[in-house]
Amino acid sequence: MEGVTSAERAAPGTVPAQGGPPPVHTETPDRPSPVLRLLFVAALFTPPRWTPRRVRYDRRYRRLDQYRFVAWFLSLPLLVYLLFVISPFVQAFFYSMTDWTGFSSSYTFTGFENYERLWNDDAFWDAARNSVLLLVAAPLITLGLGLFFAFMLSAGGRKRRDQAISGVTGSGMYKIVYFFPQVLSLAIIAVIWTRIYSPRSGILNEGLGAVGLDSWQREDWLGGDVARWCVLAVLCWSFVGFYVVLFSAAMSSIPTEVYEAALLDGAGRRVTFFRITFPLTWDTVRTGWIYMGIQALDAFALVSVMVPEHGMDVIPSYLYDKAFRDGQAGYATAIGVALFLITLVFSALMMRVGRRDRIEF
Amino acid sequence: MNSGPYLPRRTLIRRSAAAGLFTIPAVSALSACASGGGDDDSNAERGEVTENNPFGVTDAELEVVIFDGGFGDQYALDAEALYSAAHGSVTHDKTQEIQSRLQPRMVQGDPPDVINNSGAQAMDIAALIRNEQAYDLTELLDAPSLDDPSVTVRDTLMPGTIEMGQFGGQEMYQLNYAFTVYGQWYSRTALDRIGAEYPQTWDEMLAVCEAARREGMAGWTYAGVYPYYFNFTLYPFIGKIGGPEVLQAIDNLEPNAWRHDAVRAAFEAYHELTARGYVLQGSPGMTHEESQDEWNQYRALFIPNGSWVENEARANTPPDFDMAVGAPTGLDSSDALPFGALWASGSEPFLVPAQADNTAGGLEFLRIMLGRESARNFTELVSSLACVRGSADGLELPPGLTSAGEVLEAAGDNILIPRMPDWYRQLNNEEIGGAIAEMMAGEIEPDEAITRCQRAADAAAQDDSIQKFTR
Amino acid sequence: MSNTRSGEAAERRADTGGGVLNVFAHSFLVLWAVLAAGPVLWVVVSSFRPHTDLVSDPFGLPTDLAWDNFSNAWTSADIGRYTLNSAIVLCGSLTGTMLLGSMAAYVLARFTFPGNRTVHLLFTGGMMFPVFLAIVPLFFVLDNFGLLNTRQGLILVYIAYSLPFTVFFLVSFFRTLPGAVQEAATLDGASHTRTFFQIMMPMARPALISVGIFNFLGQWNQFVLPRVLNVGDPDDAVLPQGLAALMVQQGYEGDWGALYAGVSMAMLPVLAVYVAFQRQVQTGLTAGAVR
Repeated sequence: MEGVTSAERAAPGTVPAQGGPPPVHTETPDRPSPVLRLLFVAALFTPPRWTPRRVRYDRRYRRLDQYRFVAWFLSLPLLVYLLFVISPFVQAFFYSMTDWTGFSSSYTFTGFENYERLWNDDAFWDAARNSVLLLVAAPLITLGLGLFFAFMLSAGGRKRRDQAISGVTGSGMYKIVYFFPQVLSLAIIAVIWTRIYSPRSGILNEGLGAVGLDSWQREDWLGGDVARWCVLAVLCWSFVGFYVVLFSAAMSSIPTEVYEAALLDGAGRRVTFFRITFPLTWDTVRTGWIYMGIQALDAFALVSVMVPEHGMDVIPSYLYDKAFRDGQAGYATAIGVALFLITLVFSALMMRVGRRDRIEF
Repeated sequence: MNSGPYLPRRTLIRRSAAAGLFTIPAVSALSACASGGGDDDSNAERGEVTENNPFGVTDAELEVVIFDGGFGDQYALDAEALYSAAHGSVTHDKTQEIQSRLQPRMVQGDPPDVINNSGAQAMDIAALIRNEQAYDLTELLDAPSLDDPSVTVRDTLMPGTIEMGQFGGQEMYQLNYAFTVYGQWYSRTALDRIGAEYPQTWDEMLAVCEAARREGMAGWTYAGVYPYYFNFTLYPFIGKIGGPEVLQAIDNLEPNAWRHDAVRAAFEAYHELTARGYVLQGSPGMTHEESQDEWNQYRALFIPNGSWVENEARANTPPDFDMAVGAPTGLDSSDALPFGALWASGSEPFLVPAQADNTAGGLEFLRIMLGRESARNFTELVSSLACVRGSADGLELPPGLTSAGEVLEAAGDNILIPRMPDWYRQLNNEEIGGAIAEMMAGEIEPDEAITRCQRAADAAAQDDSIQKFTR
Repeated sequence: MSNTRSGEAAERRADTGGGVLNVFAHSFLVLWAVLAAGPVLWVVVSSFRPHTDLVSDPFGLPTDLAWDNFSNAWTSADIGRYTLNSAIVLCGSLTGTMLLGSMAAYVLARFTFPGNRTVHLLFTGGMMFPVFLAIVPLFFVLDNFGLLNTRQGLILVYIAYSLPFTVFFLVSFFRTLPGAVQEAATLDGASHTRTFFQIMMPMARPALISVGIFNFLGQWNQFVLPRVLNVGDPDDAVLPQGLAALMVQQGYEGDWGALYAGVSMAMLPVLAVYVAFQRQVQTGLTAGAVR
């Protein structure tokens, strides 16, 4: 702030005694005098009411005023963001090439040793397999169900004379109820489902027994190989509602005329869905796909609460163990980088595969 | 930094140098203060040393974190009252999530002064030692005991206590406060009801399980979510069949240690319980609490457990239960050790973090805990022996603890102390535990379980990031 | 929304036709409604039953209301304290997120300046970063600023990690606002700051409410960040941490009734807030879907 005050003092037109050449007041607009330039810079960093008149009445002031506003408004969000999001990410790439334990202040630069170890780490690949399974299956199932229900809600109703398409009765109520799981914290969901999966007093086994599917009952849902499917089911369960509401919204923006035209062509509901609804909501589906994929890649809360220590791992839970249990922060960040790469590849793939010309209507 | 032979090939970089690589403010801020300076003990400010104050405790605050599990935390609160009467105030905290609560604080370099590092979510003590996070308690051992200044603390401890705190050297890093008897826990009432005697050989075990089944009771239940509970009887069973050397080889991660005939015999015997349907339905997915609940309801006869179970299950134990423990059932008459051999050792570990602000206070707190008053109080409150000699003398003991004392006496010198759980926590709990879990759930055969254990042990033996110990 | 409402109105007017498909559609919809609400209902019902009943018959109805489950959960699990902590943190973080997010979004949406695209990309790209990659360095960043295990630290981190979505959402909204209003305000001599706070913010209210709800849900339910960054004093734990602790605690004490009561107390307020604001949530999603 020192510079600001001195610049202000200089405002009335006195030349700062810095030994520069005397100001020549040419009227060439592209070449402001050094003083003016200084004033402009000063004004950029001070509140508008401190702006010297000379600057305020300059033709370029409008732009300065804009930039100043932009700078002031952007600085705080950007600072917080750079500090707590971007800088840790950048650091992670560096730490991933060290043998830093996280406990002590010193570490050794090891190049790609962590990545080499990662490549040969069976436990990591087990975790990665589970994560990729969730990454592929969770969006597929969740979005599939989401689209199905959304279509049913907006087009599953009775045919009526005056409408080409109509929602089922009480569709608003369904949307509210479907959204319930999305409102609950993953921690709560994990606690609830741990109890549901409990072999002796959980309702899953009880429920299977009640409908006569005794042979489907299991002694242990969350410890063995079935665990990944159990986690997948919970993941889908918790997100379907979100996509039903999202897709319903997207579908409601499709003009009714489009449906009427289809109806005139004699299209059934199935054809309507695949020829009209699905293509016209594709953009939303694609965005949703990426979002769901990222959620599936995380799954940390579910796995860390539901699955016993000896059971399955996903990449985030393996990373957490390495960083905070085994004191291998360097290796853990290498795992993080691998996770980032998977996310990146997935998103890029979805962007590319799913790219098609946006259909205007 | 145990990078050993690789060190010369690498460039050693201090954090401050590394931070220069980035221009982002947060990174340069990193250089300003090292997070958790590894081995400085500038924090350990000591006051004047007197006869009653051998560590020079000041009136600085003491922070104690107790694992709120089977033993609760009342015994610690009582010891803290003694501490604060003589020295500074005490901040007390209890939790079941030791690791997720405290590990970040260890990493941060701001740990509490005393940690009761126990439970399913304990921190990996070997990793802590490797990273120089645990304070050497030798000073405590050589200090005069609380009750008699002419006797050192070392001489008041139960046998095996010091060894259990050592990790391949003379330094003692953790104090196991409880003395635990592991074995097959059961209800005498239930055993009487089916008209059986406690089984000493595996054939007798199968017969008892069959008899239990006729009474509508399963032979066994166990905490499938924490399958290493099985190790409490499985390890001594292996040692009993093949002798202590087999366990020693396993602890030392020797090649083919798991392929010993004794291991195979033990695995096959346990697998038979599952194959014949003697294990309570649903056990593979139960927590320890759930399985104890079922056991208390007379739905299963035996449960592999340690002597903390009497206190842990107190609320749900029927009054007529008459809890007891037996040494692990042997295989047959060809066993290397007599039937009485069992696993008994210290448990309920306490440690003083190396970076604690008040290490002197931490040591003094442990010295108070090891005093006669606190030890007896512990035994009375939680019905478990303490690691102090004579902690149970003259006390009226509940049935489970009485029975633990009896089997301990019967065992004589045949006490087995597997070190696997402390030395290689992850290997013990996740890999070996996982293999046993699947075998007991009937998903894999004993052969495959053994192969998996051996493979995991080999992998651990070759993993440079795991500290190795031998005995 | 309006579509649905007019659809329902139409339905009431004329109900002709119908068929097998309708039954088919409806039965699936009902099935999922049961699946979505069932577990929630089960927990609430079970929270009134004592532990022993729950073990013997998990499906049963409460014979008499075991209110002491609630008092047990309230005292032993400290749900009240954790809820309060969460509320305090959210007061700061939600306000901060909305303020900083809308400031950045407004500038990025309505002004051209060098670096606009870069900054926009930097913010929105953050949506794809897995939090886990950053978690270890973030821990030390906070530690070095003395913000580890503090509410301020948690608030700042929540804000920072909510910015990508908030900026992304609000930028697309601010772009749809008519430019004429802004110009008129400028001609009247209003400063940019005034224009923003007194004219643009009120106009953006629906979008702000929508994104605010999403941020509320996201931050209220945040699990990973507090689990690593807020472990100092257990009394400062936020609700998701408290619930995870409650779960572990019941593993040692064996009182499922209290567990369900604790979970009920944690989720019912959020459900109530949701039902009260569900219209905004749905319009918010609509705005997001129909960008």
